[in-house]
Amino acid sequence: MDSSVTGAGAVSLILADSRFPGGGHVHSGGLEEAVERGLIRDSADLRPFLAGRLRAAGELAAVFAAAAAHAAARGVTPRHWAVLDGELDARTPSAAQREASRAQGRGTARAAKAAWPSPVLRELLAETPRPHHPVILGAITGLSGGRPVDAASAAAYLAVSGPASAAVRLLGLDPLAVNGIVANLSHALDAVAARGAAVAGHDPRDLPAPGAPALDLLAEAHVRHHKEEVRLFAS
Amino acid sequence: MKATAELEAEFDPATGRTVLRRLRSMAPLTLLPQRTAGDVALVHLVNSATAPLGGDELALHVRVGPGAHLRLSGVAATLALPGQRGGVSAMAVHAEVAADGRFEHLPEPTVVTARARHHALLTAELDTGASLRTREVLVLGRDGERPGDLTTAMHVTRGETAVLRQELTIGDALLDASPAYLAGRRVLGTEVLVGGDADTVAPASGQWWSLTPLPTGGGLATVLAEDAVTAERELAEAVRHAG
Repeated sequence: MDSSVTGAGAVSLILADSRFPGGGHVHSGGLEEAVERGLIRDSADLRPFLAGRLRAAGELAAVFAAAAAHAAARGVTPRHWAVLDGELDARTPSAAQREASRAQGRGTARAAKAAWPSPVLRELLAETPRPHHPVILGAITGLSGGRPVDAASAAAYLAVSGPASAAVRLLGLDPLAVNGIVANLSHALDAVAARGAAVAGHDPRDLPAPGAPALDLLAEAHVRHHKEEVRLFAS
Repeated sequence: MKATAELEAEFDPATGRTVLRRLRSMAPLTLLPQRTAGDVALVHLVNSATAPLGGDELALHVRVGPGAHLRLSGVAATLALPGQRGGVSAMAVHAEVAADGRFEHLPEPTVVTARARHHALLTAELDTGASLRTREVLVLGRDGERPGDLTTAMHVTRGETAVLRQELTIGDALLDASPAYLAGRRVLGTEVLVGGDADTVAPASGQWWSLTPLPTGGGLATVLAEDAVTAERELAEAVRHAG
């Protein structure tokens, strides 16, 4: 479907907006734990964190958002959603990161039921009541006529925009400087989205599985500390 | 150099022990069976030549029969080295573990030396009730050396279910240094535990290690350390939490 005709590109703008009521604002994507450890103190430290996060967690999210958009557009059996969700599960070894992804997926699904009700969305949620965030984000994009690359782009952007705004809140960084860092990642964001879109139609078992060992460790430690002391963010 | 080694272990009901049904070394992959007192069959994998070198394509096929228990251990660190023509080296381990079989794959660390280009792949297909323990310790270069390029992929499945799929690329200096990726640490250790008691692990973590339950059972221990000795000690600590 040509999104310039349908206007479906706007859907990924809504999904990637920080004001979208999907619950994304309570997650820092490991940034809060990195700040607590003194690994990130200023804008100069933030840049490599975001670049690394994009290439690992962002890439994985982009791949599955694109695959879900492709699946929604071509039409799949309800079972396919469980397979896609399970394959993303197997690529997310950190239980804390799985929970963070599903919490945002649940929030997104709640908003989607009100905004974009459809039989396919109902099927997806019947198979996976707490879907992974990239899967539901991609499905909504695809159902609205958006392309896999639109979904991948939104997922990749969210992988860095949330932690970036968390850095502003936690460290009191200059919002203009932080925005500049995100803007500098534009080409990298486009490359990640393009790679995700390139494999969108593949068998879910064969999709890439980029890992991020440090993010996994930060996520697990964050959950442990969250239970012992006050933290601003859920992840 | 191209080489494929094969190893097949079977449970012998007459003696209650695991026997090696098939053991085929091919240079540079040498398989050396060891005497053990228990019912486990222990085999050492020795890289008999300087391997892997750029251009090498090495493969090891492992089959563990129903109820058999095989442990494959390394004896010395592996050095991934560049070849004369700068080609890529590859080492693939493929394991099939039948019902109630157990495969332990415990190689010594792999050191990714400067200018090496190496691909490591592990695929494990588990039957119902089968269990797996596999360890990987990657060292980014020798002392004071930048690492070459390494990709490592691990795919563990149980029947039709994906248990764990992970791919990593090492050797991009900016990525390696990112606090979101390897946090500038020189050694990455992982250990996967699937089946048996490991199917119900509880999460545990320290500053630079964690043990986390996998979504369909089993656990993954992860360590980032400054040296291999610390990595192995903290991996052991993480695995102890799996009971």
